[in-house]
Amino acid sequence: MATETLTTASSPRPTRNPRRRPGRRQLVGLLFVAPALLLVVAFFVIPLGMTAWMSLHNWPLLGKSSFIGLGNYEALLADGRFWSAMRFTLYYTVVVTVVIFAVAFPLALFVERQRPLAGFYRTIYFLPVVVGFGSASLLWAWLMNVDAGLFGPALQQLGLTEKRINILSSFDATFWSVIAMVVWKTSGFTMIILMTGLQGIPTDLREAARIDGASRPQLFTRITLPLMRRTIALALILSVAGSMLAFDQFYIIAQGGPRNTTLTAVYWIFNSSFVSFRMGYGAALSMVLLVILLAISVVQLRILRTHEGI
Amino acid sequence: MSMQSETLVKADIELRHVQKSFGSVDVIHGLDLTINGGEFVVFVGPSGCGKSTLLRMIAGLEEVTDGDILIGGRDVTDSDPARRGIAMVFQSYALYPHMSVKDNLAFGLKIAHTPPAEVEARVGAAAEILKINHLLERRPGQLSGGQRQRVAIGRAIVRKPLAFLFDEPLSNLDAELRVSMRIELARLHRELGNTMVYVTHDQIEAMTLADKIVVLRDGRIEQVGTPRQVYEDPDNMFVAGFIGSPRMNFLAARLRDRRTVEVAGASLALAAELGAAPGDIQFGIRPEHLHPGAERPGAIAARVDFSEYLGNTRYLYCVTGSGETVVAEQRDGDDFEPGQPVWLGCEPSQMRLFAKTGERLR
Repeated sequence: MATETLTTASSPRPTRNPRRRPGRRQLVGLLFVAPALLLVVAFFVIPLGMTAWMSLHNWPLLGKSSFIGLGNYEALLADGRFWSAMRFTLYYTVVVTVVIFAVAFPLALFVERQRPLAGFYRTIYFLPVVVGFGSASLLWAWLMNVDAGLFGPALQQLGLTEKRINILSSFDATFWSVIAMVVWKTSGFTMIILMTGLQGIPTDLREAARIDGASRPQLFTRITLPLMRRTIALALILSVAGSMLAFDQFYIIAQGGPRNTTLTAVYWIFNSSFVSFRMGYGAALSMVLLVILLAISVVQLRILRTHEGI
Repeated sequence: MSMQSETLVKADIELRHVQKSFGSVDVIHGLDLTINGGEFVVFVGPSGCGKSTLLRMIAGLEEVTDGDILIGGRDVTDSDPARRGIAMVFQSYALYPHMSVKDNLAFGLKIAHTPPAEVEARVGAAAEILKINHLLERRPGQLSGGQRQRVAIGRAIVRKPLAFLFDEPLSNLDAELRVSMRIELARLHRELGNTMVYVTHDQIEAMTLADKIVVLRDGRIEQVGTPRQVYEDPDNMFVAGFIGSPRMNFLAARLRDRRTVEVAGASLALAAELGAAPGDIQFGIRPEHLHPGAERPGAIAARVDFSEYLGNTRYLYCVTGSGETVVAEQRDGDDFEPGQPVWLGCEPSQMRLFAKTGERLR
């Protein structure tokens, strides 16, 4: 991009107004994108390079690092814990994405139209989104606490369970509670994205389909959904990428428990790097996760690629 | 879809005291209108007059606050748009962008579970009429504005409706295309013979297409009549001023007695005795009926402000002695210079007189 800028700048067309200086305009443009470029370089490109570099070393937290080539990558291929964490992460991603869409789509359909209190509903559904993931996890960790929390004691008080149940003692209860928390916290965001997609469909099209005799379900499947491909792709990629990187909720609420069944990929990277202090190995795991995430995103974009004119 | 098999294609549309309000704002004030089967009716009026709302109410896209709508003798006031036997062409064409032209045409039929062979036949027939056979596999995004409009009309034809509804269908086309599509729509009406209701703010479209023009203002009908009637025999000042371009001149006048009117210093004899009491009135005359020339009795004295040359004709913008502006059409003779005095003569049969409140004096 930079070379393109330079070539157009250095060859001004003689037919143009000589007083106009394209070189300066390009420079000003570059100046405007410079802060963003700087941030991307400082906080993405450089750390990425450092991670790649670290992944080729035996890099303890203290002491000297030594170059071991692809040693870390060879080790992680045989690391059963990492791959089971990866499997769990994929499972979590699929489930949470399906549930988020199942909740967010009806909400989007509900708040999209102008109706009394639409702004109010949009706000309250979106509100949990502005809570940090860490704080939300802490809140739910308390709610799910067997002694001082809400769910366990409340279920007992209401007589639904005979004795007090510890939600965090079984995989299913823990898993679905975390899903509930994440859906509560993020579906408002997905709702807003889907809502903008819905609003982008001209009302004329719906009216034409109504005159053509389409019922409400037909309107949704034959007109609305196909025209929301782009929006759905965006919401899906954001949701999948976010879920693949899940960490806070499982770390804060369940500490990976019960019996390490809710260890996610990032959790395992964190353990390797900052509990076992194998920084080089953690870096290698991160690189692998990045590649997997990239692959998934490319596949999604290909599947949801839109046809011309939509 | 029993409607499709009925032999009656020329359905009457009847509006009985139809009313529409959005909240506390009334946009249509109790309209009565009968559209005869097979008629091409055009709703015209300035923006905000309720013409589109009225059309959408006939289509069933807008709820009716009060009154009844009958199509083909059947009360459809509360019916679904799809069950009214109408087809609508939108200003924006409203083609489904993710479907090919063929699928756009066939969408309604497929929804109604029409047998594939019949879908094929009807789509083929519509494509034939509109000469869009070669476009069937394309998507709307690959079509020009005129082609999209044809597809939109094709989608309406395929439904074999009792009545066609057009909501400003030509406004998004450029001037040249608009003329050719206008002629095509007239041809279509001649071929199909259906009832057609057409909304426009373009009076040339209204004049050329309509069997009957409905002039609307502020949710009320000002006049219903043939193009000739609304142009030559307007019921009130609004219709007289709205139909025709450049618009009719209105001058303050005084009815001296039943046979004479005084306008801008001139005393003009009327064609027929007027049944109104002497007093202040409005005198209306179209630019083409004002004949610029030399001083002569029965002509209004004015001064030329400027002259517009249009090739086939010239328009003189003049100011009368009382300071009112009048436009006169000049077809022959020498050009007038700005500032030059001019006398504007007129035939008594072309004068239109209106009460101060706007209604026509006959």
